[in-house]
Amino acid sequence: MEQSSPMIQVNHLCKSFGSLEVLKDISTTFERGSVVAIIGPSGGGKSTFLRCLNLLEKPTSGEIIFDGVNICDKKTDINLHRQKIGMVFQQFNLFNNMNVLRNLTAAPVKIKGMPPAEAEEKAVKLLTRVGLADKLTAYPAQLSGGQKQRVAIVRALMMNPEVMLFDEPTSALDPEMVGEVLDVMKALADDGMSMIVVTHEMRFAREVSDRTIFLSDGMIEEDKPSRELFAHPESQRLVSFLSKVL
Amino acid sequence: MTFFSGILAFLTRMWTLFTRYNTFFAEGIKNTLIIAFFSVVLGTIFGTLMAMLRMSKVKPLRYLATAYIEFIRGTPLMVQLMFIFYGLPMTGIKLPDISWIPNFSRFAAGIVAMSMNSCAYVAEIIRSGIQAVDHGQTEAARSLGFRQSQTMTMVVLPQAVKNILPALGNEFVTVIKESSIVSVIGIADLMFRSKDVIAVTYISLETLAITAILYFIMTFISGRFVSLMERKMSNGTK
Repeated sequence: MEQSSPMIQVNHLCKSFGSLEVLKDISTTFERGSVVAIIGPSGGGKSTFLRCLNLLEKPTSGEIIFDGVNICDKKTDINLHRQKIGMVFQQFNLFNNMNVLRNLTAAPVKIKGMPPAEAEEKAVKLLTRVGLADKLTAYPAQLSGGQKQRVAIVRALMMNPEVMLFDEPTSALDPEMVGEVLDVMKALADDGMSMIVVTHEMRFAREVSDRTIFLSDGMIEEDKPSRELFAHPESQRLVSFLSKVL
Repeated sequence: MTFFSGILAFLTRMWTLFTRYNTFFAEGIKNTLIIAFFSVVLGTIFGTLMAMLRMSKVKPLRYLATAYIEFIRGTPLMVQLMFIFYGLPMTGIKLPDISWIPNFSRFAAGIVAMSMNSCAYVAEIIRSGIQAVDHGQTEAARSLGFRQSQTMTMVVLPQAVKNILPALGNEFVTVIKESSIVSVIGIADLMFRSKDVIAVTYISLETLAITAILYFIMTFISGRFVSLMERKMSNGTK
């Protein structure tokens, strides 16, 4: 596989719920090691687009090529594929019936067959990096929103994903906790992790992401390097969107 | 004063009745417990299977299970019981008599009808317990690469159990009470035997009071037992 080919290539992706067209013919690419922010008004299809990338939503038509493999093909083993894609949800979705340690080690041990001791060591190392080493035996119900989201990020990282998807990771957080999660994401970006981030945090999009996609009404309205997009928005919709959120 | 002496006299009559006819009550309790026990066990086993069918991805199976559950829940247990006991033999399906178990065919009909009924309720309890688990839990597990079956056993079911157990406990208690209906097909359960006692003694109020107390003791003890189990289970999962 040549390194120059994009990590993810999306071709003519469409998604409808019944008669409602949420994504209308989206084509784009995501490069390895890049951080891409997806912004846009609510109901514009941002989350749906992100969820299509690991097939939590099945596209109605079009193709998604990941590492040269079309994941929309029925023959593709989607479970194998999902192991390479980490996902962080708005509502954290930590497993409520497991403590932090088990939340982190369950997937690498059960899916990848990593020895439990090794998984635990790795979990402690990553938790320390996000400042939560003392929460190893806590249950999700005992954590704050910001702590839950940091654990959720670590849970996804435990699988050594090639790319991380973030679905509005700070939208369900109290304002004073947004910072701690964004810091972790920023550190991740600095480490060279490929990231696709659906977000309402315009500062994060502008300052951390390399590229920003403005998705509105199921279509890509604008797709440019972040600084350029925020400095010189072209489409009327983007201008009016930015004037509301900035 | 007369009020208290009246009550005292009533209690005394109850006690006399109870001691004199205790073998009646004892046999009634035994048979009620047999019916309830087998109905609960079979109802839970088949109810679990029915819940799986009800949530199956295969449409015909799902529709069939839904129809069964709706129909059973929408018709009286009395009718179902009579249908099994009187109706089935007419269609040529005969429950066998086994010589060393007295009244086997009656018992079988009672247990079959009660379990078929309980099965529908248990299925709904299990289904709603599973569906009450936040869908985000499933999505998170699937996004990590867990298969559907792993997601179910590792993440969803352990959380669903907490929703299911209390309702299932109630269902057990309900089965004990509802089992009194099998007296209409001549099974000598507690209700049947208490009617015997009334027939012999013409003392109905006291007899019914004894019967009510005995049913209450059975449901109370099993209710306590169920909540004890619940606490044990929820300690394990936190």
